[in-house]
Amino acid sequence: MSSIAEQRRELGPYVGMLVFLVAWGMCFASLFFAYSVLRISEVSWPPPGVPRLPLAVPLFNTVVLAISSYTFHRGLVAVRGNRSLSVWLGVTWLLGTLFLALQIWVWLGVERAGLRWDSSKYGSVFYSLTVFHALHVLSGLVVIVYLMLRARRYTSARHTAVRMGAMFWHFVDAVWALMFLTVYVL
Amino acid sequence: MSDAHASHDDSIHPEPTSFLRKYVFSTDHKVIAKQFIWLGLAFLAVGGTMAMMIRWQLAHTGEPFPVIGHAIFSNSAGIISPAAYTSLFTMHGTIMIFFAITPIMIGGFGNFCIPLMIGARDMVFPKLNMFSFWMMFISSAILVASFFMPMGAAAAGWTTYPTLSTVMGTPGWGQTLWVVSIYFAGGSTVMGAVNYITTVIVLRAPGMGYFKMPLTVWGLWLTAILNALFVPVLAAGMILLFLDRVVGTHFFLAGALVKSGGDPILYQHLFWIFGHPEVYILILPGWGVVSDLLSFFSRKPAYGYKVTALAMSAVCVLSAVVYGHHMFTTGLSPLLGQGFMLLTMFISVPAEIFFLNWLHTLWKGKIRLTVPMLFSLGLVFVFGLGGLTGLYLATISTDLYLHDTYFVVGHFHLTMAAAVFLGAFASIYFWFPKMFGKMMNSTLGKLHFWFSFVPINFVFCGMLYVGFGGMQRRLYNPSIYQTFQHLESVNKFISYSAFVMAFGGIFFIINFFYSLAKGEKAPSNPWEVGTLEWTHTTSPPQHHNFDVIPTVLHGPHEFNHPHLTDKDWLGQAEVLPALGAQEAK
Repeated sequence: MSSIAEQRRELGPYVGMLVFLVAWGMCFASLFFAYSVLRISEVSWPPPGVPRLPLAVPLFNTVVLAISSYTFHRGLVAVRGNRSLSVWLGVTWLLGTLFLALQIWVWLGVERAGLRWDSSKYGSVFYSLTVFHALHVLSGLVVIVYLMLRARRYTSARHTAVRMGAMFWHFVDAVWALMFLTVYVL
Repeated sequence: MSDAHASHDDSIHPEPTSFLRKYVFSTDHKVIAKQFIWLGLAFLAVGGTMAMMIRWQLAHTGEPFPVIGHAIFSNSAGIISPAAYTSLFTMHGTIMIFFAITPIMIGGFGNFCIPLMIGARDMVFPKLNMFSFWMMFISSAILVASFFMPMGAAAAGWTTYPTLSTVMGTPGWGQTLWVVSIYFAGGSTVMGAVNYITTVIVLRAPGMGYFKMPLTVWGLWLTAILNALFVPVLAAGMILLFLDRVVGTHFFLAGALVKSGGDPILYQHLFWIFGHPEVYILILPGWGVVSDLLSFFSRKPAYGYKVTALAMSAVCVLSAVVYGHHMFTTGLSPLLGQGFMLLTMFISVPAEIFFLNWLHTLWKGKIRLTVPMLFSLGLVFVFGLGGLTGLYLATISTDLYLHDTYFVVGHFHLTMAAAVFLGAFASIYFWFPKMFGKMMNSTLGKLHFWFSFVPINFVFCGMLYVGFGGMQRRLYNPSIYQTFQHLESVNKFISYSAFVMAFGGIFFIINFFYSLAKGEKAPSNPWEVGTLEWTHTTSPPQHHNFDVIPTVLHGPHEFNHPHLTDKDWLGQAEVLPALGAQEAK
């Protein structure tokens, strides 16, 4: 259990991270807003003549990210119990990489089918939103590597960075859930 | 993140000794504040010179700009060409908003005042603070670079509406670099905002409740909240505009040239969702500072302190839901338009409340007309005018006529330029002794005030007048239109007033540098007020601000307390002699 002094020390980073995530959530919200404004001006969506997006692989990817959130959380639980978090972080990293690989596969397939970012606004929305999100997954992977390199330093008393990393990762996953619903399903 | 100062029990960090760590890549909030202020003042001079060029063009069309004209407009023999004029008004707005006001008021005084006034040793994330400044620096370097691009700097107005801002309207890298620069400036602002919000939440000294914070801190804190929420919206708009310009996406391009095009109005939505809170972001620090200063120099407690804080908060909430009033003429649904009109009108209620509180604070006070007080009173007057003219623009029926005229220019300059300008100088004159340990010259300061305050009203009220006469903004040469020819003399009057104001700026520059070098040494509390930065630390404060974190007992404006006999002010952490034993419990 963390001491009161530890809780006080973690308060600053915790509040700061919350504020940052709310701010960055506004950026994603604006992209979703842009998507909806463009969409309501069309009679049908996707517009006629536009290739359909795949559904199965993105759905699988959603599950992959959901599991990765769980494994990151298990890593946090492990470090709180003074056990090693490297394994859990390693699994999270692999899942995140799998997500990115599959996402690249989706982009390549969609582009082969004839949907490009500069061919229609449907393409613009699809690529911009998913690429912007993928860049966040990539940053998350960098953070995980950083945490793994320093894994030995974290103890149940001092692991603020792990907690911050987990918050960011959950945020990125939650945004993906929304993105999957809006971009692929609806 | 592990070295964040989240607790007051943290040990005092030693002052860095190397030049780089002490003055360049410093993590000390006081040094970063000065860096921001130097950057902001430099850009204020650039943006101000651009304003003079714009006014020169409107008063003396076709004549070469005096002194520096030949060097700057060398291709046209010193005459401002239409293309250069378009770039001038674009860059004037951009520079003043993102690179002058934001660094001075938010980066500078936000950094300087928040930790000192709430009794903290530094910001909660000192390194993030340093990154925030250097990101702003990179952003301003990109902006400066954009002037030297082939086809010139950005020229789509500071609002950068598509289709003007797409590759069809403004081809060339100048406009693209503008977009990148604003994105980075936004990044810097959000970093600062995260820091300020968190610092106020976790680092207040013991006893410093939210309703014991000086109103300056309230203003800066609310500013930070609005920044954190709405600057990312601008960032999203900039990302999409960048993609449109560079990789050819179709977010904002419409028409026959693009199949399945996007919507230029979408940009206006994104821009004004950010843009309306932004105008409050710019003026809120000024409101906060003035709320404190009026009380300090009337030697009276701020009237309705709590109500002022809550009213400013209410304005913040409302500012998020009124952006549509910038878009009445875009074909917005009339029902939505009415909603936006009503919500905009509602802002007058909290705004009137704290405005009346300001007047009540002055009422029967022992007013000391110091230089910061003069500038504060100037802000109150100018902001009152600006606020009243806002009503005509909030009302759809009058806005349809006044839209895009100089009336709009006059209105927003009175509120977020003139008022902010006077507020910024009030802050500089007030905190200069604490920042640099020297007093500023009061006579030069008063000259600066009168040379600023009188012409500033002539300039912007003149703009209201020509705008009411129908003159559109951004016209290169209004006198070629017969309708506007009778306004020529007024335009000249505005320009000459502006030149007088610019002349007044010289008093400030002399005063600033002279006081830095040879100013009288400042005592720790020259204004005789009770907030922590004056009562509990030296001028300038030592590296760790406070030797012992003070325990706060009183509000920030305790004047003429009946238990005090020797002086008329009471420090926030001062134990009252008569009640000492009781309060110590």
